[in-house]
Amino acid sequence: MFGALYAAEGTDPAMLGSVAREFSPRIEVCGPREITLDLSGLERLFGEARMIAHELRRTAADRGLRVRVAIAGTRSAARLFVHDRAGITVIDSGTEAEMLASLPLSLLSNVSNVSNDPNESNESNELLFTLRRWGLRTLGEFAALPSDEVAARLGTAGVEWQRLARGEDPRPLVPALPEERFEQTLELDWPIEGLEPLSFVLGRLMEPLSAHLERRDRGAAVLHVRLHLVTRTVHERSLQLPAPMRDARALRTLALLDLESHPPDAAIDRVTVAVDPTPGRVVQFSLLTRPLPSPEQLSTLTARLAALMGEGRCGSPELVDSWRPGAFAMKPFAPRDSNVLHTHQPRPSTMLGASRAQVEGRRHEGTETKKIGFLRDSVSPWPVAVNAAASPTVALRRFRTPIPVRVHAEDGRPIRVWMDPPSPGGLRWTSRRGLSGGRIEIAAGPWRTSGSWWESQAWNRDEWDVALTDGVTYRLFRDRTDAHGVKASLSAVARRAKAEWFIEGIVD
Amino acid sequence: MANSALAVLETALRERKLDRTLTTALPPLERSDPAAFIPFDLAAMDAVLRGGLPRGQVSELAGPHSSGRTTLLLQLLGAATRGGEIAALVDTCDHLDVASASAAGIDLERLLWIRGEAGPIDRLVDRALKALNLVLQAGGFGVVVLDLADVPPRVLKSLPFTTWLRVQRIVEGSDTACLLVGPEPLARSAGGLTVMCTGQTTWNVDAPVRARRFTGLETEVRVVSPRRRVDGGARIAAVANDSQ
Repeated sequence: MFGALYAAEGTDPAMLGSVAREFSPRIEVCGPREITLDLSGLERLFGEARMIAHELRRTAADRGLRVRVAIAGTRSAARLFVHDRAGITVIDSGTEAEMLASLPLSLLSNVSNVSNDPNESNESNELLFTLRRWGLRTLGEFAALPSDEVAARLGTAGVEWQRLARGEDPRPLVPALPEERFEQTLELDWPIEGLEPLSFVLGRLMEPLSAHLERRDRGAAVLHVRLHLVTRTVHERSLQLPAPMRDARALRTLALLDLESHPPDAAIDRVTVAVDPTPGRVVQFSLLTRPLPSPEQLSTLTARLAALMGEGRCGSPELVDSWRPGAFAMKPFAPRDSNVLHTHQPRPSTMLGASRAQVEGRRHEGTETKKIGFLRDSVSPWPVAVNAAASPTVALRRFRTPIPVRVHAEDGRPIRVWMDPPSPGGLRWTSRRGLSGGRIEIAAGPWRTSGSWWESQAWNRDEWDVALTDGVTYRLFRDRTDAHGVKASLSAVARRAKAEWFIEGIVD
Repeated sequence: MANSALAVLETALRERKLDRTLTTALPPLERSDPAAFIPFDLAAMDAVLRGGLPRGQVSELAGPHSSGRTTLLLQLLGAATRGGEIAALVDTCDHLDVASASAAGIDLERLLWIRGEAGPIDRLVDRALKALNLVLQAGGFGVVVLDLADVPPRVLKSLPFTTWLRVQRIVEGSDTACLLVGPEPLARSAGGLTVMCTGQTTWNVDAPVRARRFTGLETEVRVVSPRRRVDGGARIAAVANDSQ
């Protein structure tokens, strides 16, 4: 025995589902407003079918829902009746075809699996149109046609419709599984303060949550921690995890590290932990490459480092499309897995500073030793990378905030550098990092660069590479920012110092 | 009496796995295995280091400003990341130039960059050491570098020597090569290598003054090993990158 519920427009599907689940665990959602139920065995609880239908309608009414109820021996018959008639309809088992015979043919398009979306496919409408052209008006007339002739003329869709018209089920009921909630809550007898006691509570909550995720082969994509405080407020934190994970210790550590940075402002009397589940990870390790640390380890490490060094102070550097000196961006550290072992790719960037002869030399080197690996050469008994580079590229140590200095210039060329601050007391020694000044032995420049003049972060300067007599090579620049004296690109300290010359970095 | 006391001490050290760092009876390192070291991808450098920096040891790169330490450091990170490893750089004073790193061929996605914040230098060093410990304890990195190149010597000298012993204890037995970069040798690890750098920039001095240009950096490296297993020197010429 099957029942069908058809709710009024605007009904909450979840509410309709909960009403149906009160009567049967075997329900199938047929649409946002329609549900079919397997009512077998309910007679012993409620009595005959009509009583069950009344009970269904009453329960729905208690929840504020207006529903039609139909009960029949087959799901198809119940669905057709619930679309046709308001209120309660009960059909005795075995009489479905007879009772359906008088119903209009158009009902089939409501219950059929054949798409009747006018934008997607017109198959349902075309089928209905064909049947009407044949002079058929009711389900009984259609059901009476020979099945093989219907199949020959209308195909499988026609056969399916004819079975529906006879009240036969095209397939068994496929029960919908209730949505699983991955959530754990603990009411505390006494409010707790501080993260240490909270870590025990979180550990106790994470263990069953992790076991639940493992049973369902799910991982947490987002971790929600809700702390109900004694002040009647809720402190809620959500952590977007870099990869699906379900390790209880890793989840607890991540939640704690986040709460260290964003602590609740009162004692906690209820803790709820919930996760948004996602299918678990399938990991295939390689015998040929060194395995990367797991996402759990990496996310725990980066969370610890962020707590230690500050937000945005650790990650992977990224070049940005800008001419601004020293421009870069940070992004989360998420190394992709590599299938390359000791395969040293050609380094295009190193070619930028190399001479043509060096580039040619490297090309020659590449063609000579295509085999990847190591060799023992005549110079050394130790293995040496076969594709070792001839010359590296000189690196610069860049001061994130340029250091203001005094420079004596003749004919526009710097002659001497003093590291003492231009305005006494304006700068501390710590900003100088033990740099030494002195006479400039060689200077190359100026290289003029400017940009972003349309923004507040404009720069306009002459760069110099200078070598001092003590052997240290600096990159200096003379700031040429606008005539109003606004050195927007520099720090407040540098602006206060009203400096003109700055050290941008050290060649090292 | 003295011999028996020495034997007891050596046994105790061996039990605590400290024999490798504190005693003279060191088993020879199997340096012929390419997987036992991280190469610089510089023929001269790798030859003098007999393959590269040893894994599971604390090595050092020391020298004054403009000696080529950073060039070699970025070269090492580039070689490691191109070889499929992941690397970490604890940048105490936040002086990494990302353009230089890219020019050195570093796969930036495989580099974990930990940047120190502005503040008192003692606090910066303290945080950098904590970050180094965290990264080493996490494991899985091919190279982990602590850059102390711009830290004043007085601050470095105030660090207790046990700091480096602790670092050595964390890293030993792992596949990670730990590298300290500073103005002078700090850890003097028995198993690691200490590379001293001196450098001189090169210029096209023959050109007219207006056309003069910085062309590169010649670095002379000298390997200083307390056990003299590796000794020697090499000269490495780095070329200036005009795109920086």
